[in-house]
Amino acid sequence: MSRRTAFGALVVVVMLGMVAAAVPASGAVSGTVATSGSLRIWTDKDRRADIERIATAWGSRRGVTVEVVEKNFGDIRDQLKTVAPATAPDVIIGAHDWTGQLAADGLVLPLSPKKATLKQFPKYALDAFSYGTAVKRLYGSPVALENVGLVVNTRLATVPKTWASLQKQALAFKKKSPDNLAIAVPQAPAGDAYHMYPFFSGLGGFVFARNKAGNLNPRVIGVANPVFLKNAPMIDAWDRLGLINSKVNYDTAKNAFLKGQAAFWVTGPWEADTLRSSGLSFRIVQVPKIKFRSVPFLGVQGFMVTRFANSHGVATLAKDLVASYIMLPASQRALAAANGRFPANTVAGKQVNNPVLAQFGRAGVGGVPMPNIPQMSSVWEELGGAWLKATNGTSTAARPTFATAARNIRNKIG
Amino acid sequence: MTTTAARAEVPPRPTFAQKVMALPSRAAPFFSGPVGLAIKIFLLALVNALAVWAAIVLADEGKWAAVAVLAVTTFLIDLAYLTRRALPLKFLIPGTVLMIAFQVVPILYTVNVAFTNYSTGHILSKDQAIVGIKGNSLAPPPDGKSYLMAPARDADGALVLLLVDEDTGNTFVGTTEELRPIERSSVEVDDLGIVSAEGYTLVKGPELVTLDRELTAYTVPTSGDAAIRPEGLDTAVELAPTLRYQPARDQFTRIADGVVFTDNEKGSFTARSGEELEPGWKTNIGFANFDKILHNPLVRDPFLRVFVWTFVFAFLAVLISFVLGLLLAITLDKPDMHFLRTYRVLLILPYAIPGFLSLLVWQGLLNDDFGVVNKLLHIDVPWLFDSNWAKVSVILVSVWLTSPYFFLISLGALQSIPTELKEAARVDGGGPWQVFRKVTLPLLLIVVGPLLIASFAFNFNNFGNIYFLTGGGPQSSDQTTAGDTDILISYTYKIAFASGKGQDYGLASAIALIIFFIVATISSLAFWRTNALENIR
Repeated sequence: MSRRTAFGALVVVVMLGMVAAAVPASGAVSGTVATSGSLRIWTDKDRRADIERIATAWGSRRGVTVEVVEKNFGDIRDQLKTVAPATAPDVIIGAHDWTGQLAADGLVLPLSPKKATLKQFPKYALDAFSYGTAVKRLYGSPVALENVGLVVNTRLATVPKTWASLQKQALAFKKKSPDNLAIAVPQAPAGDAYHMYPFFSGLGGFVFARNKAGNLNPRVIGVANPVFLKNAPMIDAWDRLGLINSKVNYDTAKNAFLKGQAAFWVTGPWEADTLRSSGLSFRIVQVPKIKFRSVPFLGVQGFMVTRFANSHGVATLAKDLVASYIMLPASQRALAAANGRFPANTVAGKQVNNPVLAQFGRAGVGGVPMPNIPQMSSVWEELGGAWLKATNGTSTAARPTFATAARNIRNKIG
Repeated sequence: MTTTAARAEVPPRPTFAQKVMALPSRAAPFFSGPVGLAIKIFLLALVNALAVWAAIVLADEGKWAAVAVLAVTTFLIDLAYLTRRALPLKFLIPGTVLMIAFQVVPILYTVNVAFTNYSTGHILSKDQAIVGIKGNSLAPPPDGKSYLMAPARDADGALVLLLVDEDTGNTFVGTTEELRPIERSSVEVDDLGIVSAEGYTLVKGPELVTLDRELTAYTVPTSGDAAIRPEGLDTAVELAPTLRYQPARDQFTRIADGVVFTDNEKGSFTARSGEELEPGWKTNIGFANFDKILHNPLVRDPFLRVFVWTFVFAFLAVLISFVLGLLLAITLDKPDMHFLRTYRVLLILPYAIPGFLSLLVWQGLLNDDFGVVNKLLHIDVPWLFDSNWAKVSVILVSVWLTSPYFFLISLGALQSIPTELKEAARVDGGGPWQVFRKVTLPLLLIVVGPLLIASFAFNFNNFGNIYFLTGGGPQSSDQTTAGDTDILISYTYKIAFASGKGQDYGLASAIALIIFFIVATISSLAFWRTNALENIR
């Protein structure tokens, strides 16, 4: 028995030792108490280094330590919903079309930057981050702008001023070789309503109407509005002629343009480096007016302050960083450049000397910010799917296809 | 122990394989000694340390019931391993703990979520939602001002806000009682904001950081409900509530028009008109999700079609994979064949590559204008764009992915069937087909049967195959949101994660429960059949 007691005592001693070693090492325990004076930022990989630099510069001015955590861009939104409060971020980087969902979830805090600061931003970039069914508030500070444009290989075609010219040149080029594409725009395998938006808006399509207060109304869906449906037979003609082929996926479109097997490519500034190093001579323009201006979707990326900043006791600090420091021209220029995008701040924008980004910027004039209301998640697949079906070369009539998509969207929104 | 005796006999040198095989029996005595004891104490101590750490975290969040359960379980685990009794328990505990953690808890959680409204707009608690609504509904009043701001201490050391009107440049001191104009010349301002003010000391550096909670709650009343609030560390904005919360009645009233928003028992404050305040909260909503499944046309209309196709897909994918795997196994079950190992390795390769990679590669190969399959064979098959061909493609790719598994299993099972049985059948005059049909196959099925059922259940929920290859498409001619190759689980994903306001975990869990019951029913029926098969033996 005494041997047992000794053994038991030994065990207890060792275990206590383990516990003593484990507790301070865990760190999570200290994380549950208030961490005043330390700010946690979730960012994607591309911008990590620059955010770290900018946030640290801000932090040393304010006497705050900054912890930058790297996440996959898409995970930032989804993990914010399930993260434990102790390890939750105070500031996140995000896309403007997350605004509605995150605000409806109550996960992000409204911001009120200075009037002088707000004046340096285009209205649509601020609108893009604004949301509210009753009171519309700003939930993010815009950093970078992006949109697709029509990239023209100027050795193979002249820059088209009209839709007819684009169509004629594209089809003539396609006839030259069975490997050639008329307009290289990615859709396969699941549809791509984002890249197809210029063609959609050019025929009179829109996603949600705005009400009198300027808010998007999820009850009025423009995917099959009468004007668009009237123009929809043009899509059948494009399909018959092979102007747009939905079996083209992202890599097929890109390779075709880079190999000179397509004179026209619909893409965005994320390919700016590829284009520059391709050795091709090219110009980026807006898709020529079809029946209406063929404007692209506009995407805005920026920073948001999470509700956890309140419980961590760093809300004013987080707002100082996001709504004040990050909106300064110098921060904007660095952050946008880190990601190869045009800065949202117009003062910073004037200092950008990058012809490719500037051309993409001009291709976005008059564009429509991607709807930021949460109901947009009901739209992507259906709208992309309708284009996929209408342009897959099997002479499926466009009109009923888009009408079905609109009906499905309405059902999904419920 | 018997080493001297063994040496005397001079056994043949053991081969490497024999040495390896002997390891477990040599390990047993090694681990029963002090080394084993030390490892045991170390592992137990690790478990206890984890438990203590978990207990501290749980206690910190006030979850005392969980702490109690944790303490009792940890004590029982220690007891089981520290006493000499309860030997079977020592082997059962690790498995049981893992089963509870990875099987029972997720199922219970799913059941729990299925009865809630957990979805976009309903993820906070009610208290958190009320705080959120209050914050979101603050709005600048019609002629609301915004100020450059600097927190400062007055002569008595009290916290005040130095304010400079952004439009007029007028200067003020804001306290929790009032907004008081001060001499413009007494405040110095540069590009970065307020630099200094006579009679006040600006709060800077580390002290500023510690003031966060105080500043967040700081309000300088102006007129009516409006107040100036710090927004960051160098900006303050005049904001007024547009909604008023009455805790006693648990309702919000809109100040502008008096509309009342009450708790609708479904996790939101709603007005009579149906207008809803955001955010809402997570709450129990009973059978509402199941009701939605029965009555929502989005779910109901394509259900039967999707259900039948799920069944067909799972059945054919398993059947064809099994038949193909078995044929290959029979072909390669010949020890004297040349390059036998090479063949086997080649056959197992698809199984060794991560499934989603193969699926993405296949998606490219099968593209009907640009895919390698059509180009090499000089055919024009719309593999992924025609509804029937897409179904064929999905099954073909599943067969490519799973037949190596059945090849491996069948090969092992074939080799375990005693050759005497087959010889006896042959002596009795049975032809090769008869021997296979009457002897090999039944014996094989006893081994493979349960695996076939498991594989069927797996394919019934084979989300990846559908999602990565066709995404459920092409769009169906019956004009519903379910594509032609959508199976129940991929369709669930579409209606729960790509519709409404984004994510609806509650609805997804409810459908998952229904699928669980379908699969469980089918599996238990099938297991019941294989048991019958075993009894014949």
